[in-house]
Amino acid sequence: MMRTAYIVKGYRTAVGKAGRGAFRFMRPDDLAAQLIRKMMEEMPELDKNRIDDLIVGNAMPEAEQGLNVGRLISLMSLDTVKVPGMTVNRYCSSGLETIAIATAKIQQGMADCIIAGGVESMSYIPMGGYKVTPNLAVARLNPDWYWSMGLTAEAVANEYKVSREDQDAFALQSHLKAIAAQQEGRFDKDIMPIDFEEVFLDEKEKRHTRKITVTKDEGPRADTNVEALAKLKPVFANGGSVTAGNSSQTSDGAAFVMVMSEEMVKELNLTPIARLVSYAAAGVEPRIMGIGPVAAIPKALKLAGLKQDDIELIELNEAFASQSLAVVRTLGLDPSRINVNGGAIALGHPLGCTGGKLSVQLFNEMERRKQKYGMVTMCVGTGQGAAGVFEKM
Amino acid sequence: MERRIRKVAVLGSGIMGSRIAAHMAGVGVEVLLLDIVPRERNAAEEAAGLDMASKKFRNRLVNDALQSALKSNPSPIYHPDFAKRISTGNFEDDMPRIKDADWIIEVVVERLDIKKTVFEQVEKYRKPGTLVSSNTSGIPIHLMLEGRSEDFRKHFLGTHFFNPPRYLKLLEIIPTPETSPEVVEFFMYYGDLFLGKSTVLCKDTPAFIANRVGIYSIMSLFHQVKEMGLTVEEVDKLTGPVLGRPKSATFRTTDVVGLDTLVHVANGLKASTPNDEMNHLFTLPPFIEQMQKDNKLGSKTEEGFYKKVRTADGGSEILTLDLDSLQYRPNKRASFKTLEATKPISDLKERLPVLCGGKDKAGDFYRKSFAGLFAYVSNRIPEIADEVFRVDEAMKAGFGWELGPFEYWDAIGLEKGLEYVAAEGLKVAAWITEMQAAGAKTFYQIENGKLKYYDPQSKTYKVVPGQDSFIILDRIRATKTVWQNAEAVVEDLGDGVLNIEFRSKMNTLGGGVIQGINKAFDLAEKDYRGLVIGNQAPNFSVGANLGMIFMMAIEQDYDELNMAVKIFQDTVMRVRYSAVPVVVAPHGMTLGGGCEMTLHADRVVAAAETYIGLVEFGVGVIPGGGGTKELTLRAADRYMKDDVELNTLRENYLTIGMAKVATSAHEAYGLGILRKGQDEIVLNKDRQIAAAKSAVIEMSDAGYTKPVQRKDIKVLGKQALGMFEIGAHSMVSAKFISEHDRLISRKLAYVMSGGDLSEPTLVSEQYLLDLEREAFLSLCGERKTLERIQHMLKTGKPLRN
Repeated sequence: MMRTAYIVKGYRTAVGKAGRGAFRFMRPDDLAAQLIRKMMEEMPELDKNRIDDLIVGNAMPEAEQGLNVGRLISLMSLDTVKVPGMTVNRYCSSGLETIAIATAKIQQGMADCIIAGGVESMSYIPMGGYKVTPNLAVARLNPDWYWSMGLTAEAVANEYKVSREDQDAFALQSHLKAIAAQQEGRFDKDIMPIDFEEVFLDEKEKRHTRKITVTKDEGPRADTNVEALAKLKPVFANGGSVTAGNSSQTSDGAAFVMVMSEEMVKELNLTPIARLVSYAAAGVEPRIMGIGPVAAIPKALKLAGLKQDDIELIELNEAFASQSLAVVRTLGLDPSRINVNGGAIALGHPLGCTGGKLSVQLFNEMERRKQKYGMVTMCVGTGQGAAGVFEKM
Repeated sequence: MERRIRKVAVLGSGIMGSRIAAHMAGVGVEVLLLDIVPRERNAAEEAAGLDMASKKFRNRLVNDALQSALKSNPSPIYHPDFAKRISTGNFEDDMPRIKDADWIIEVVVERLDIKKTVFEQVEKYRKPGTLVSSNTSGIPIHLMLEGRSEDFRKHFLGTHFFNPPRYLKLLEIIPTPETSPEVVEFFMYYGDLFLGKSTVLCKDTPAFIANRVGIYSIMSLFHQVKEMGLTVEEVDKLTGPVLGRPKSATFRTTDVVGLDTLVHVANGLKASTPNDEMNHLFTLPPFIEQMQKDNKLGSKTEEGFYKKVRTADGGSEILTLDLDSLQYRPNKRASFKTLEATKPISDLKERLPVLCGGKDKAGDFYRKSFAGLFAYVSNRIPEIADEVFRVDEAMKAGFGWELGPFEYWDAIGLEKGLEYVAAEGLKVAAWITEMQAAGAKTFYQIENGKLKYYDPQSKTYKVVPGQDSFIILDRIRATKTVWQNAEAVVEDLGDGVLNIEFRSKMNTLGGGVIQGINKAFDLAEKDYRGLVIGNQAPNFSVGANLGMIFMMAIEQDYDELNMAVKIFQDTVMRVRYSAVPVVVAPHGMTLGGGCEMTLHADRVVAAAETYIGLVEFGVGVIPGGGGTKELTLRAADRYMKDDVELNTLRENYLTIGMAKVATSAHEAYGLGILRKGQDEIVLNKDRQIAAAKSAVIEMSDAGYTKPVQRKDIKVLGKQALGMFEIGAHSMVSAKFISEHDRLISRKLAYVMSGGDLSEPTLVSEQYLLDLEREAFLSLCGERKTLERIQHMLKTGKPLRN
């Protein structure tokens, strides 16, 4: 008999700009550990030794986020050796994947309480990691399996005829919505403030320290406009249409939720926030990876026994404007239900964290809107898509 | 006292000031660059509410000027990193900081009252003994002394740079009667050794030497051009490379410099040289006045003697000014029988008599022009200089002439020159007649490899000073040649050191040069201590003889081609593995095979102005003369334990794949073409061969042992190939490169990976050379590669196909 798993807590950090933002020297393990520690402080009723697992999504698990960073984060954040940890990688859906794994384990009775989510520092680890060594045989037969994401975005723009103008207009909307959301404080409930001390040298090489608290997403730009976006040169292809302005930003961030069995929720007298109704990942041609949600969304809806129209709110990860528009148009999604507070073009896309981050955002916005069904979906590298359907409690 | 320049203060950050600062920083000096505080806030500053007390506002002029200079092309600085040596400030807040400077250069506007005010400030803050100079081009230096202390006067003189200071070689040194001789001597030496300049000692006469003669030369042309019925194109054809002068010749140069600048100097000369017998020439002819009124000032106003316009098909076209109507018309190709006749004569000195003997308009033009020039410069001695070589040096270094006026005269012949002067009804100075009477037939003589000049005062030939640090191959070739063929000369540099000099067209590395290099090795290994591979042509070498490769490839003579490439490789390998130390001395363009030669030197002594790179991709091949092997080896030598080796290899792969060319020797370090700590840079090209010779001796004295051939080069095999495969495919898919580029990239990847080996393997140099040669040959069998080579041979530009 299948049990029910609920999400009872969920937070994210603010998202920093990779390489120049506040988190550029914040290690991903420290970032994740602090977030989890603070989330746990809000659940004093839970004995940490009862947590069955910590699952960390991460898209480039090497160097600072290598060595099974999931286990390290558990040790660093929970003050006990008893909670194991693992790292999960399905690139940009990693964070969502961990919630699915946690839910499935609890439903099967393999666990009662799992922390799931993701972290990514694109400041520390570049896209593709430090050593890219494609398989020569594959490289000769199917070189596009190894394409950069930008090239796939160009391919989607070409094959789905998404114009530069439409991409730029979409990008501008992302910023406008994000700025409005910030101004109205719509991210305040998502974001757990992160503080740390920075040690640095001044011009005279004298050592100083300063305390920093990060509470606000760094990506949205109030000063952008259509003209400025139109001026940007395509970065991925000669004569292309994908620019830095209509692509997601590279970012640093972490997001985690607590998934718990119904029994334990009752025992601890906690209030459920939401539950994952269904989750599906699907494969598409790697060349047009951005179209992934077109395959994943119907699959997830079928598993949930729902129709597309039943979904009242969608967080569709804006890897690129071109693929976002292609997905929206192909499936006939209702633009007014998508990314109401802006998307990754404005707010940033910390790869492995994104699934968790979008889930947290979705829960809080659905709470405000008093909605029942929502969805988090994204395209995933090397030709995949993922979608998760949530029911808001 | 041993003077050292560690820090300079440059006062004034205009076009010249900012670029002088950049060059000083480039040579390694700390620079303080100052300019005035802006009078008021600009619109943006006002909008932002910028505090007028802030540094940002007060240093805006100087900071903007410096940034715009640093961004200009060609770059005023050897390497962008060196800009960190420049700090900026303003006259009001930062003048006290000049107390730390060893040399203070004034480059403010050309107004005596303002300069005097600046020097008053300088006097207030400078430490006694600090050098001070003015970069004025028109104001007499001695007028700036008024009110200054004795210590200031002793340490003050003119130092006149030419724009752009990094690239133009002339530095005029203009002492006043009160300048201490020690200071003059210091600048003559410092400018040469440390700034890479030809320093020319000038008298404090109007416009000094180069501009006086140069402006005369241009103004007399302005007056002549219409009466001789010549067009703008014709004059530029007649006064360009055929005469050993820059391609921009007369009118194009004027457009670049700006007609207003030229007119300004001419007007100055008009006023300041009432006794100049040619003073009337400094009056502007009516068409020049009109051009000035019409704002046809050249590049800065987008039209001058030429005008670039957009064409209907989106391209552009250069129009030419008709000097009668002052309207623009399509360009007309200039052509002269005399010029056609001199085409096969590559040596300027041999060409000149033929040019002047021409029976057409061109001949008339040359006879008339040289008559004027010879008479004029003869009458400027001793007014502007006591010695002829100073005039020649100044014109060569300041205006890019291959020969100075007196050298032209020597090439044409004293008698002939006098004939031309007489025919024009002009008069030479008396000392020329005396010289002729004394039986002297030339202004210069070479004796024992030393250049001597005719001294009118003593009526004898005297040694041109400062030659001891120079080895000028032109001067020793006649007496020190050990061996030669049509394309190469081996000279004895003395002290047991040989030099192999390329003498082919553009110094391409064809059969004759390769034979010469091998001969030089044979000779050096037998009887000498070591060898320099160096020359003093405009460029070290533009690479292999493409024409020859093209012929063999088109005739599918692959065995022959294989043999030719093998010999080239073997020769390059001998550079490193001969029994004697070998120093290569690149300068100017050092491309393809020239770069490969450099890569294999025991030590490189490069001129600061060296434009070096492996550009083979542009003609559809990969470096086949050891270049690919060497960059693979150099990458492997940088691998460290646990390092990501691929990334290091990728850097060198891209250096070849993107045909990167360093725009200075300093940049070549960054490309891994020069080796820090092993290869050297000399600032003054004239010192290069002598420095290379010293390097040979130094290595020989240190006990040179031939290096052991390498058999331990780590190649990465399949793992590298996979990465390169994806890289090239992505670039094609993104339309950044063509399919043919991809094919070449794959060949390059195969060589640099050491083939498709399953695991990283240690290989020998010969293994890589064989792979490299095979790849080169296979590419020579590709139609698109042949198209690229043919296009390069025809147009001198790479073809993207």
